[in-house]
Amino acid sequence: MTGGAPTPAPSPRHGEPLTNDEPLTNGEPLTNDEPLTNDEPLTNDGPADDDFGRRPSRGRLRHRALLYASDEEFREIALAYLADGAAAGDVLVAILPEARRRLLFAAPGDAAEGLGEIEILDASDWYGGPTRTIASFHERGRTGWWGRGRLRVLTEPPWEGRSPLEIVEWQRHESLLNVAFAATPTLLTCAYDIRAVSGDVLAGAARTHPAFTDAAGEWPSPSYTDPAAFYAECNRSPLGPPPLAAEHRRFCTGQLPDVRRFLSGRAERHGLPPDRRLPFLLAANEVATAVIRNGGGRGDLWVWATADELVCELADPAARVEDRFLGHIPPRLDRPTEAAMWAVRCLCHIVEIRSDARSGTRIRLHVRLDAPDAPVTQG
Amino acid sequence: MSTLGDDGLPLPAAGPDAVSGSGAMRRPAEAGATADAAADAEAVAVAVGEMRFGDHLALAFTGDEERYAVLAAYVRDGLRRDHKIIYLADQEDADAVLDRLAAAPAFAEADVDVREAAADGRLAPRPVIEAFMASGRFDPDGTVELLGAEIELALVQGYRGVRITGETSFSLRGWPGTERFREFEHKCQGAFRAPGSRAMAICQYDRRWFGDEQLRLLLACHDGLVRVDDLHDDGVLRITPTFTPPGLALSGAVDESTLPALRTALAVAARRDGHLCLDLSGLAFCDTEGLRAMLETRTSGDGLDRQVVLRSVPGYLALMLRIAGWDRLPGVFVEEAAT
Repeated sequence: MTGGAPTPAPSPRHGEPLTNDEPLTNGEPLTNDEPLTNDEPLTNDGPADDDFGRRPSRGRLRHRALLYASDEEFREIALAYLADGAAAGDVLVAILPEARRRLLFAAPGDAAEGLGEIEILDASDWYGGPTRTIASFHERGRTGWWGRGRLRVLTEPPWEGRSPLEIVEWQRHESLLNVAFAATPTLLTCAYDIRAVSGDVLAGAARTHPAFTDAAGEWPSPSYTDPAAFYAECNRSPLGPPPLAAEHRRFCTGQLPDVRRFLSGRAERHGLPPDRRLPFLLAANEVATAVIRNGGGRGDLWVWATADELVCELADPAARVEDRFLGHIPPRLDRPTEAAMWAVRCLCHIVEIRSDARSGTRIRLHVRLDAPDAPVTQG
Repeated sequence: MSTLGDDGLPLPAAGPDAVSGSGAMRRPAEAGATADAAADAEAVAVAVGEMRFGDHLALAFTGDEERYAVLAAYVRDGLRRDHKIIYLADQEDADAVLDRLAAAPAFAEADVDVREAAADGRLAPRPVIEAFMASGRFDPDGTVELLGAEIELALVQGYRGVRITGETSFSLRGWPGTERFREFEHKCQGAFRAPGSRAMAICQYDRRWFGDEQLRLLLACHDGLVRVDDLHDDGVLRITPTFTPPGLALSGAVDESTLPALRTALAVAARRDGHLCLDLSGLAFCDTEGLRAMLETRTSGDGLDRQVVLRSVPGYLALMLRIAGWDRLPGVFVEEAAT
């Protein structure tokens, strides 16, 4: 059991009146002087300031879930949404699975043809890993999208074939978007096919998206949960012990070259492709360094493989870490210490952190053995 | 070794596989070093602090900073070991040479003093023209004999060894006999390597003065090249100063255990004004703290910002820089290694 969102879905499409007090068709001004509602220090800067401390055009994220029940409904709402954006001069981006792209863009003479320039990305490429997806979003936004105006994204994250852990982490991802891109001029609409996704996923969508939307308008999600609370909830499910088959090592200062040699050998034995071993070692080394330097000075590590993952858990029995979106938010250049755990998360598929005063800190790194997990942000 | 040059001396074999003589085992790459390949050879050149009796090495430099970094360490080590040091100067007088040596980093916190050593004869700087051209004509055999006599005298005086270094630029002036300079170098090679030798030598070659082919032939008359001492080498991380461009070459791994050494070396390098080039081609591993330490040298020192050039950055480090966003810090120039 890996936690998740047990709260039942509030069936937003029917439970709430379709009051539409914020028409989405009118392009929001790019300079939004509205005070930021979120007082998290991590969140009030939006995209990292550029190299000279100037901020990109200020804005505010609007992050909505679009629940649809048929292809026609999806097509109608999506095209209207993109057409509104085109009319408003928004930067248009569609991140969709192939079947959805076909619905919108395949047929010649399609309604989508009149929309002008739309950047179309493949959802299975885009949603490679929760942190890498934020990294790509940040990078693309910073270098292209946000500089050109308001960004209007239509996306459909894939949920099929996700493991229970992945579902939790992708839900966490949806919640983190509200923090990471809070102050960006972004209208982000995430589509959910209610025929295909589970009730858990829909419940999660209601808790991670501040609003719902459909053809008629937008209304607040009643079960929207503050990202910090949602984050803490995701961390509440306990981490099981490493399996008996896991190999164990202790480490302390001066032993990291040996640790890397050991892990490199295990990565090879368990079939991690050669080009992904060094990123794995970099991630594990980074965590071990934090244990030695900031934590209790010595730690334990376990390494094992599952059917499709190489897993390395590093434990510091003596120290607790403050995990408030730790490593989830693109680091600011003037806060280099935030970069280490961000790098760890970018280098891995999923990183789980559990920390409390009683049993210390455990950080579990998951690296996929099969998929080409190119840990590269667009550069 | 059957080919003879126009001066009747055997020509060095070209190519990396060529080895010459008995001294080749210790440093195989230099035996066939060409001027072009000299840069490669430097990777395996002997650190000045590792020199032993019998060594006859060439210091091929392109700037005085590099030159005196090596020579000052050579002189300092000699004084510490109670060696007699003979410095044959050409382009500057003895006094200027002493100033240069004393100002080099090797003497910054040393327990020996250049001026004191010169005053009591342990360090003898003298003009090469006096030593080698006394008869008005440069005579290779005579000069080798003269050096032999100097060495013997020093040993009789109780010195535990003799260190000789000489500038070679005088050989380019067309003085009588200097057309036989390569013959002289060749004979020195035999003389220093004699069994029981308690002497060593560094011949100084200014790359800017010698033609490539000429330099190649001359360097081949030596056991190899000498290079500056590493700033640090603990078996995990090696840090070596570089001079053109100024900076550091790192090889091995930077992690929590070697980070303090890196920080120290960077602090030393950052004392110098101007941009800093870090050659990372040999860096097999580096954590984010290590990268940060390198990039922080942009703003250290006396507040003047400098550019940090990361040269031959391995792919994994380029990835880390990109992930952290540090490749777009102002003042950072990332030059990826060719793959």
